[in-house]
Amino acid sequence: MSAIDVKSEISGRVFEIVARPGDRLAEDDPVMILEAMKMEIAVGAPCNGVVKQILVGNEDSIAEGQVVAILEAV
Amino acid sequence: MEAASADASALLAIVNDAHRAIDDPARTEQLARHRQRAALTARERIAYLCEPGSFQELGALVRPRGGPDRDAPADGVIAGTAKIDGRWCAVLSQDFSVFGGSIGELGSAKTSRLAHMASVRGLPLVMLLDGGGHRIQGGQNSRHFAKAGPFFHELARMSGWVPMVAAMLGAGFAGPTNYAGMADFVVMVRGQSTMGLAGPALVKAGTGEDVTVQELGGAEVQVDRHGLADLGVGSEIEALDAVRRFLSFLPGNAREPAPLVAATDPADRLGEALLDIVPANTRRAYDVRKVIDIVADAGSVFEIKPTFAGNIVTSFARLDGRPVGFIANQPKRLGGMLTSDACDKAAHFIAVCDAFGLPLVYLVDVPGFSIGPAAERTVLGRHSAKMIHELGHATVPRISVVLRKGYGLGYFAMCGGRSFDSDASLAWPTAEICAMSVEGSVDVAYRKDYESHPEPQRRRQELIDAMRADINVLEAAGGFGVDAVIDPRRTRAELITLLAQAPARRANPLPPKYRSIAPI
Repeated sequence: MSAIDVKSEISGRVFEIVARPGDRLAEDDPVMILEAMKMEIAVGAPCNGVVKQILVGNEDSIAEGQVVAILEAV
Repeated sequence: MEAASADASALLAIVNDAHRAIDDPARTEQLARHRQRAALTARERIAYLCEPGSFQELGALVRPRGGPDRDAPADGVIAGTAKIDGRWCAVLSQDFSVFGGSIGELGSAKTSRLAHMASVRGLPLVMLLDGGGHRIQGGQNSRHFAKAGPFFHELARMSGWVPMVAAMLGAGFAGPTNYAGMADFVVMVRGQSTMGLAGPALVKAGTGEDVTVQELGGAEVQVDRHGLADLGVGSEIEALDAVRRFLSFLPGNAREPAPLVAATDPADRLGEALLDIVPANTRRAYDVRKVIDIVADAGSVFEIKPTFAGNIVTSFARLDGRPVGFIANQPKRLGGMLTSDACDKAAHFIAVCDAFGLPLVYLVDVPGFSIGPAAERTVLGRHSAKMIHELGHATVPRISVVLRKGYGLGYFAMCGGRSFDSDASLAWPTAEICAMSVEGSVDVAYRKDYESHPEPQRRRQELIDAMRADINVLEAAGGFGVDAVIDPRRTRAELITLLAQAPARRANPLPPKYRSIAPI
């Protein structure tokens, strides 16, 4: 099993963290919701996996391409 | 007479032997290496794609006269005409088992002639690519190379006349990538195909960089990240099926009508789920692909570039059996913002649909173009112009349906309102059409106002509420910016009825110029 970076495609602010460490996600399932461009934009799982670590907190500012969580691919 | 006929029979036997010698059963040994890396040989690929017995080979017996590459059956490229789903096409298939599918002098001449035949006859050109660039063994000298060849000139002139398709089925660096770069649709096999102007060895020699084949030109890079190819699939068979599917939406050439199929899905079928898919709350995302799936004929949707620039969705589909092109903002990705990649993707799709007579159906939910330094670094100002340029030149019917947001220049680029003389400009009750987001415009224009207020947040909200009162679908309809506000459930029926009334092509008189200059 390999660790996969979950990256944000957009800069914004963390609005809500949806997934927790240990959660099993399918590809595209939301890991967290960012607020950007006056919208709630999900950062989705890049593949099926288990959440290993969440690297940001609520209200944090996120840069485009920033790693916000680590998944363990399954 | 008898002697002459015996002679002819003997000569015919020689010719037949020559044909047999280049066929797969006679080349088991030479094909062994190829079979280790691919599922199908060059000839088997043609046999799978085309109707049995329909392939008429061109230049089967060409063979270099001498030199190290004299044993090059068909000179490494199998070419001819064949039927795909009942229609004649020009097909070429590079043979990797012959000097790695490299391009020899005669193979190149054959390829050019096939393209010329496709152009003259008005046949789609299908390129099954698995090879390299110039065959060094055939001559690395000026006498040979200075002639170059007319293939690229032919491809450029054929663009928009006949559909051109490339299936990248293995090695694709150099020549094959340049061929595919001119195609309307390119499919790659994941883990097997490569694309790029030069492979790792040449990169190493030229720049000193170490990079693997897949890192440099695999589908994950060239399909998903760069959008050079349109689709990544799991096998050669899937790639060939994708070629067939792509062609099924298009006519043989630009002067033929797009192929209709018998409709089995009722034209007036209601899309009950459409009332629930799009949240009225403009902050909430949803998957616009579900909207397309419901509106289009059941099972007809074929998405182009599904893994690239997912913030816009471009799909061929059918409405009452008629091929159309859907262009839809995807709120699920980047809020549906228009980025440079999204604009390029849409611009190319518009050009393909317009060239081959497919009406454009815009599903609009656009917060605008991407902003900020990162967006500017992509030269968005020019890429956005490209999308607009292509729509401005289109002569096919076009209909816009505003599902929710229609903000700013993005609304224009998505054919909103009267921007590009749509055949119909429709809106759902959830439409919110204005120059920019309400919150954004309050923050831009009234920041000083609310910040100087004793209760800034309350004042900001008051301003937002006041502005929002003027932004709704009744105002849009009241000012005749849209033709009709429709029941979302009836979107399919409305589109089918309206498209049935629109002429297949419209006059688009231009000033007396020779050409337009695309913003590229």
